[in-house]
Amino acid sequence: MASTGTVRLSQSFVSVSASRLTGGALLRQVALLALLFVTAGFWIYFSVAASGFTSDFNLFSLLRFAAIQITIGFAQMVALSIGDLNLAVGAIGGATGMIAGWAMQVLGLPPLVAVVFALAAGMLLGFGNGLLITWTRINSFIVTLATASLITGAMLIVTHADPFSRLPDSFTSFSETEVASLPVSNLVLVMLAVGVALFFLYRNLSLGREMLAVGANRRAARMSGLSVDRVVLLTHGISGALAATAGLMAISADHTASPSLGSDWLLASFVAPAIGGTLLSGGLVSVPGTILGGVLLATISNGLLLVGIDNFWITVFLGVVLLLAVVLDRVTRAAGGAVP
Amino acid sequence: MLRLRGLVPGVALGLLLIDLVGMIVLSAVRPQFLSDYNLFVTGRDLSILLLVALAQMIVLSLGQMNLSIGSIGGLVAIIESGLMVRFGVPVPVALVAGLLLGIACGVVNGLLVYWTKINSFVLTLGTSYVFAGINLGITHATPFYHIPNEVSSFGQARFGPIPFMAAVTIVLTLLLAGFLYQVVLGRQLLAVGGNSVAARLSGLPIRRATLTAHAISGFLAAVAGTMLMAQLGQGQPTIGATWVLPSFAGPIIGGAALSGGSAPVLGTVLAMVLISLIDDGLVLVSADPFWVEFLIGALILGAVVLGRTRLGDVRVFLRISTARPVGSIR
Repeated sequence: MASTGTVRLSQSFVSVSASRLTGGALLRQVALLALLFVTAGFWIYFSVAASGFTSDFNLFSLLRFAAIQITIGFAQMVALSIGDLNLAVGAIGGATGMIAGWAMQVLGLPPLVAVVFALAAGMLLGFGNGLLITWTRINSFIVTLATASLITGAMLIVTHADPFSRLPDSFTSFSETEVASLPVSNLVLVMLAVGVALFFLYRNLSLGREMLAVGANRRAARMSGLSVDRVVLLTHGISGALAATAGLMAISADHTASPSLGSDWLLASFVAPAIGGTLLSGGLVSVPGTILGGVLLATISNGLLLVGIDNFWITVFLGVVLLLAVVLDRVTRAAGGAVP
Repeated sequence: MLRLRGLVPGVALGLLLIDLVGMIVLSAVRPQFLSDYNLFVTGRDLSILLLVALAQMIVLSLGQMNLSIGSIGGLVAIIESGLMVRFGVPVPVALVAGLLLGIACGVVNGLLVYWTKINSFVLTLGTSYVFAGINLGITHATPFYHIPNEVSSFGQARFGPIPFMAAVTIVLTLLLAGFLYQVVLGRQLLAVGGNSVAARLSGLPIRRATLTAHAISGFLAAVAGTMLMAQLGQGQPTIGATWVLPSFAGPIIGGAALSGGSAPVLGTVLAMVLISLIDDGLVLVSADPFWVEFLIGALILGAVVLGRTRLGDVRVFLRISTARPVGSIR
C-alpha cells in the first residue's frame, strides 16, 4: 500500500513498539472513551427523537445488525494488523454463505456440519490469498482485488445466481433466539466470543504479537528472525474464517443465502476498525474499538432511518463518518507525537 | 530515451500479440465478430471503459488510488441529465457543468489526500460513498428518462463500425500521453510518484502534481459517465457502479505499479482492448456473463505474476525496498 509522504524509518522494531506504548497508550484510551461518549450520545438522542428506537424489536435487530457488521470489521481488522488489505472479505463471506446454504438445502447436511464446512472453506480461501501474497510478493491490494472477482465469479457461475432460501429452521431460528429474554440475539454472543478470542490472540499469544510486529515494520520483523511468510499466511487464513463467520451470521439473519451477499461489505469492513482506532498501515489494532465502531455504525444507520431520513442519504453520512474517523485519527496521532 | 522505452515496453508488446491472436481467433470462430454492428458495440464499450482505466492510471502513476471513479461518473451523469430533463438547461451548459463537477470531485479527493497525508485508498473509499449517496439521495434510484435527442443520438452515432465516441476517447488518450511524456508537469507527476521524498527534496511541486492527477482522474470519470449516459439515453443512477474492477484491471495488466512512477498509457489501452475482446467473445459464444468477472480476476493475477517473473528473481528478492527510479516507465 503506497501512500505518498510516509517513510518507513529504519528504526529498530523494539523502539517503534516502545514509542507506541508510551506515547499512544493514554491517547488511545482517551479516543476509545470519546467514541463511547459519541455512541452513548447518539443512543440518547435517538431514544428521544426516534419513536420506537428503544422498543425491544428495534434493539434486537439493531444489535444483530451491529454484530454482523462488527464481525465483517474483524475480518478486515485482522488483515490490517499486518499492514495488508483484504478486499475479498465480502467475496469470501458471500461465497461461504452460499456454500453453507447449498450444504444445508441441497445436501441436507445438519447445520453444525454445514457451519464447519463453510468456516473451513473461508479459511482455505483466506490461505489462498495468503499463499498468493507470499509466493508472488505482490501487493495484497492487487491479489485480493483479483481473488475477490475470481471467488465471486466462480460462485455465480456455479450457482447461476440462484439463492438458497429454504434453510433449516434450526439454523435460521438461531439468530432469532433472544438471550436470557433480553433483546439480544445469539449472534451478538457469537460476535463477542470472536472478539474475546481476537483480544486474547493480540494480547497474549505470540502469533498475535508477531502479526503486530509484521504490521509495524515488516522489514524489521523479517530481520529480527520472524517468519513473515508464515504470519502473513495465517493472518489471511484467520481473516477468511472471520469473513465466513460473518457470512454465516448474515444468512441466518436473512433466512436465505443470496448471491448478492457480501457485495456491499467493503465500506463496513473498513468503517468499524477505522473508527475504533485500528491503524490502516498496520501494527495497531483495537478489538473494543472495532466493536464500538460497529455499534456506532449500526446505531446511526438504524436511528436515521427511524427519524425518517432517506436510506440513500445514510450512505453519504457513513462515508463522511469514515472520512472524519481517519482524519481525526491522524490529527490526534500527530498531536500525541506518536509514529504515524 | 525514457520516452522510447515507454512507447514499446515488453508488456505492451505481449499484450499486442495476445490482442491480435484474440481477434483472429474470435473472427475465425464467430464471423459475426467482424460485423459492423458488433464492432460498433464493442468499440463503444471500449471507448467508455478505457477512459475509466486511464482515470485510475493517472492516479496510480502518483502512487495513489481513486476508488471513487465510478461514483463520480454516476453523479456527473445524474447531474447532467437532471439539469437537462428537469430544469431544461441547454445541452452544452449542462455538459460543461457536469464535467466541471467531475473535476471538482477529483480536486476534493486530491486536497484530502494532500492535506491529511492519509492513505488515498481509504479516503477515496469514503468520498466514493459520499458521491454515490448524493446521487441516490437526489434520484431515489430512479433514472432521469428522455434526455435530449442530440445527446442520445451521439451515443448511437457511428461511421461504419466506428462509434463517434471513439473520437473523444482517442483524442483524450493522446492528450494524456502527451501530457505525461512531454509536459513538464506530467514529468514532475511521474517523478513524484516514483519517489515522493526525492521529489520533495528536489523542490518539485507536490501539491500541484497531486491535485492535477486527481483532477484529471475526476474529469476522465466525468467524460466516461457522460458517454455512458448518452449511450443509455437516460441518466441511470447505477452508472459507474461496476467500474472499480475494470479501472484497476486496465492499468495493472498494462504494467502500472501500485507504488507509482509508471504510466503505461499504451499498455492500459491494449489491456482494455483485451478485456473488451473477452467481454465480446463471451457474448458471441453466449457464455454465462458471470465468466467476465472471473476471467478479469484471473487476468489481473496472471499479468502481475508474469510481470514479476519476467523481471527476474533479483527484482522479486529486492522488492523489500519499494523505491523506484524516478520517472521510470515500465
